[in-house]
Amino acid sequence: MSKLDDKKTDQKGQEDGVRGFIILFFIIGLFASLIVGWMIFPSLLYSKKKQPIDFNHVLHVEAVDQGCESCHYIREDGSFSGVPKLAQCVDCHEEVQGEDPEEAKFVNEYVAEGKEVPWLVYSRQPDCVFFSHVTHTKMAEMDCATCHGAIGESEHSKIYEQNRISGYSRDIWGKNIAGFKKNTWDRMKMDDCSECHVKNHVRQASVQTKKGGCFVCHK
Amino acid sequence: MKIDRRSFLSLGMGVAAGTALSPLPWKLIDDISIWTQMWPWTPVPEIGEVNYVNSTCTLCPGGCGITVRKIGDRAVKVEGKEGHPINSGGVCLLGLSGLQNLYGYDRRIKTPLKRIGNRGQGSFQKITWDEAISEVVNKLSEVRSTGQAHAVSCISGSDQGTVAQLLKRFLTAYGSPNFFTMPSMQDSYELALYLTQGIQASVAFDVENSDFVLSFGSGIVEGWGSPVRMFQASSRWREGKGKVVQIEPRLSITAAKSDKWIPIKPGTEAALALGLASVIIKESLYDKEFVENYAFGFENWKDDAGKTQIGFKQFVLEGYGPDKVAKITGIDKSTIISLARSFVRASKPLAIGGRNQGRSTSGRLNEFMAIYALNALVGNINKTGGVWSIPKPGYIKWPKVEMDDVAEKGIKEPRIDAAGSASYPYSQYLLNRVPGILNSGQENPIQVLFVAGANPIYALPNTKAVKEAFDKIPYIVGFSSYLDETAKYADIILPNHVYLERYEDIPTPVGFQKPFIGLAKPVIAPQFETKNLGDTIFLLAKGLGGTIEKAFPWDDYETCLKETLSEKWDSLEENGYWIDSSLKPADWKNAFKTASKKFEFIAAGKAKDIASLFGFSSSTLEGDEASYPLVLIPYDSMRLANGFIGDPPFVMKAVEDTVLKGKDVLIEINPETAKQLGMSEGGFAKLATPVGTAKVRVHLYDGIMPGIIALPRGLGHTAYDKFLGGKGVNFNELIGSVEDPVSGLDATWGIRAKLTKA
Amino acid sequence: MKEEHKHIKAKKYGMVIDLDKCTGCGACMVACMAENNVPFKEDETDKLLSITWLRIYKLTNGKPFPETDICYLPRPCMHCEGQHGHAPCVSVCPATVTDYDMETGIVSQIYTRCFGCRYCMAACPYHARYFNWWDPVWPEGMEKYLNPNVSPRMRGVVEKCSFCFPRYQVAKDKAMAEGRREVEEHEYQTACTQACPAGAITFGDLNNPKHAVYKLKMSPNAFRLLERLGTNPKVYYISSREWVRRSGDNYLANEVKIKKL
Repeated sequence: MSKLDDKKTDQKGQEDGVRGFIILFFIIGLFASLIVGWMIFPSLLYSKKKQPIDFNHVLHVEAVDQGCESCHYIREDGSFSGVPKLAQCVDCHEEVQGEDPEEAKFVNEYVAEGKEVPWLVYSRQPDCVFFSHVTHTKMAEMDCATCHGAIGESEHSKIYEQNRISGYSRDIWGKNIAGFKKNTWDRMKMDDCSECHVKNHVRQASVQTKKGGCFVCHK
Repeated sequence: MKIDRRSFLSLGMGVAAGTALSPLPWKLIDDISIWTQMWPWTPVPEIGEVNYVNSTCTLCPGGCGITVRKIGDRAVKVEGKEGHPINSGGVCLLGLSGLQNLYGYDRRIKTPLKRIGNRGQGSFQKITWDEAISEVVNKLSEVRSTGQAHAVSCISGSDQGTVAQLLKRFLTAYGSPNFFTMPSMQDSYELALYLTQGIQASVAFDVENSDFVLSFGSGIVEGWGSPVRMFQASSRWREGKGKVVQIEPRLSITAAKSDKWIPIKPGTEAALALGLASVIIKESLYDKEFVENYAFGFENWKDDAGKTQIGFKQFVLEGYGPDKVAKITGIDKSTIISLARSFVRASKPLAIGGRNQGRSTSGRLNEFMAIYALNALVGNINKTGGVWSIPKPGYIKWPKVEMDDVAEKGIKEPRIDAAGSASYPYSQYLLNRVPGILNSGQENPIQVLFVAGANPIYALPNTKAVKEAFDKIPYIVGFSSYLDETAKYADIILPNHVYLERYEDIPTPVGFQKPFIGLAKPVIAPQFETKNLGDTIFLLAKGLGGTIEKAFPWDDYETCLKETLSEKWDSLEENGYWIDSSLKPADWKNAFKTASKKFEFIAAGKAKDIASLFGFSSSTLEGDEASYPLVLIPYDSMRLANGFIGDPPFVMKAVEDTVLKGKDVLIEINPETAKQLGMSEGGFAKLATPVGTAKVRVHLYDGIMPGIIALPRGLGHTAYDKFLGGKGVNFNELIGSVEDPVSGLDATWGIRAKLTKA
Repeated sequence: MKEEHKHIKAKKYGMVIDLDKCTGCGACMVACMAENNVPFKEDETDKLLSITWLRIYKLTNGKPFPETDICYLPRPCMHCEGQHGHAPCVSVCPATVTDYDMETGIVSQIYTRCFGCRYCMAACPYHARYFNWWDPVWPEGMEKYLNPNVSPRMRGVVEKCSFCFPRYQVAKDKAMAEGRREVEEHEYQTACTQACPAGAITFGDLNNPKHAVYKLKMSPNAFRLLERLGTNPKVYYISSREWVRRSGDNYLANEVKIKKL
């Protein structure tokens, strides 16, 4: 009997061990894939690029009198000038002004050569999108910071992260990998545009969706 | 303790659960779906600041004002210039696709090229500009040193404007009279103007104010004259401000747009015009004030020898009564009579000629004379809504060329084509005669040929004969921007900038009523190593030195152009054009510079007799009726450029599938004729003329006269790119060159043909 | 914002094409191709495969020589309103690619959303929609002229005339820069309208009595294509010739009078 019992206990012990293993393996798998999914994957998904010149917004905002619009302005035809072209920068930076090595780099490598700086634009929407700055800033009287955040208070250019598959900037495609959004500027996908448009009843004239028409933001 | 299968399953489940709880799968799906929506190879056009550059289109002689939309330094779209005196905002499809010529790298010549393969094969090697200039200079010096200066000749698209005049000046300073232009209806129009009015000027049509246009086959809305201007005039008429009667054997678009289409046996237009004149005279409906006071040769007259000569009146009354004309033209007598009456009764009637676009051939002189006579009979010469003569723009006032002995001697040599000689005293350029002369002679009258702004190998009738003639020319220099048929035949190419990269003056467009200069401006910087033809001429002159160099005292072409246009430059830079709106045509008292100071029906002292000017003969078609029972005529279409510029891809895309199918052209034939030949829609056929044969497909078209078949001009290119080359048939390969017996100009309009099932 | 929005009156953009003036020259077709980055292939003679947002058809009266008559008819997208915006294509689209905008009356097409089922092509009675069987290829150099206001399409999607909607966006931006909410008639014109050398095309708001199209569409010679299908198209044609007007729909031989819906 005892032998039998022993055997039973043994078996039981073995079974317990096996169950333990099963749970352990499950947990290993679970945690490993959670680590991959939450930590490794996001860092692999985005390529990280440095701006060609480390730009100091604070310094520039101090030096100009019209805030953001001094450099990023609406043109007469209503289009948005975007990132300044070399011609604009040259107005001040014909020669090296200060002691910042980044400025020297800018003057020597770009101004002297007459070459445009290949800036990486954090908030560039894909080609199918028509975004009208004038509508938002002038007509809806929105601040730049509402969508772009306090970029004017940055002293260094942050790393530009680009989605390796879709090619989108992370600022557009979503800072938080899980899709949580704290600030407007954390993500600017179609649903984010739409959310605000629905709230504000902007051209809710679509026959199909009863919401915003497609030919408002698409081209 | 054992790790078994279940452990692994458990691991897998853990991984699955963990993955599902992580953003990985959901994010991947989203990203991949976006990736499939926007393939990385789908181009994303660069954004930037928009600006517009005003310029002038040079793709046809229409002279339309254009404005080019630019984004940054890219040209993005050509649009018509609002408020422009020629086209006021409108633009044609060729002009609209101009950027495909600019950015069509496959059709452009990017650097100077030197031929390495056989002629026409298209094998070239790149050379530098220095090499190219010195090679051409050496060749020119060599020819000049052997006393053959007059054997250097030039074919140019036109003789107007500074670039053409610089070429002509170069030839003069070098010592050659052999400058040629491509044939066009202007040759015959201007000759008729000279014969009747004694002035050398441009012929203009006040179409905007005419209320009855009698068109002898002119493609009013198919590219005749300045195309966009004519479209706009046509729309005015459609609004009820005028009527159009179209006379031609085929229901062209112009015919369909007209108020009345009168089909006519092709080639008998001159007879109809004379028949109309006879009705007008017989019924005494003509403008008596003009004919009695300001015209000469209407009645019979006595020449210097005292011999009585027949006047226009007797000539048409006797020879061209409506009965006879009805028989010749195939038009009812009653139609002729009523047409004549309605023409005269209109308040501002206008008769125009020059078939199709009027750009491929000069036409028969008798036809233009008869049309001019009709205008004279209704007294619309230099009147509102009539036909005007306006002075050619006289802004080119360069000092006379100082010539050395070689040049003096060379320039006195007779022209190869005998233009201006006793045989053809009033014609300026007879390029159409040159291939025949070259092919029949033992001697080689052309040692070096320049070709600029023209594609003669494609655009002159009888391609085979033209090629044969070109084969006899030892050295051909091309200046084209595009690798067209003639450039492919050149020995060396010194490529010009494309019109959107260069400055050039565009003088008064065909038929426009006011002295006008358009300015083509560089819209973008030159893309390749090309040079403005003006500058190339200066470099050649500099290389040759001596008096030739001295004839060109300018640093560069831009300076030359600015100096030449002097006080007009500012207006040109600002508006893109200069116009003398104040010009009114001369009144009848002062208009005519003939010996009689009147409009001369009979060109006294210039023409042999009235019959030589107006006489109609029907035996002008090549080929005998028995072997070639059909008559082949060409037609022009806005959708097929047929001159110096070939269709860009956009325009090819607009070509109808009843014109081109795959690589085969469709020939228009009346269903009745097709039935007799046993042919059906789309069927293949062999087209044969006395000059050549071609494989075609058949398109049954009720709008064409039975017995007539029609092919479009503008296809059958052997050069350019894959979008244009190798498609259809070049009409010129099927047709022989026909010379007008009086003017010597090219008068080709059709040929006998045979169509057999293939 | 809500209040401001209400100030904008709903528009119904439409076109009136005068077939008496149209010469079939093809300028509208090319203007459209150049404006809208329409691709091209080596052989474009198979018109079923040739992407032409605006295509010119040649009509004939079918009579023998010399009674023959022809007429050219440019056909853009008709931007059908149907009943309350239910255009034939809009109703069948499973992916909300094509939509009817009540504010402009324009039928939109969002290429990136389209997965190429082509239901809309089957539904469209005007053959106004085209499928990209191949990826567009611009020969070397020609990608330089691409217009950034119109996104280039890719293989596997349907495309069609948008009434040059991007031009409306641009015009609106300019108006707003000048502090206006409304776009003037001349500020928003399609590329074909602008180019037409014969001035045959008129474009504007069919609801706005100040716009030229408003009066033109009421011409006794005005008609629309296949009106009796109830597609309620926004492209009107004018022709003084009865046979042309009759070509606009399928009439029985004994039907004498064209009924207006």
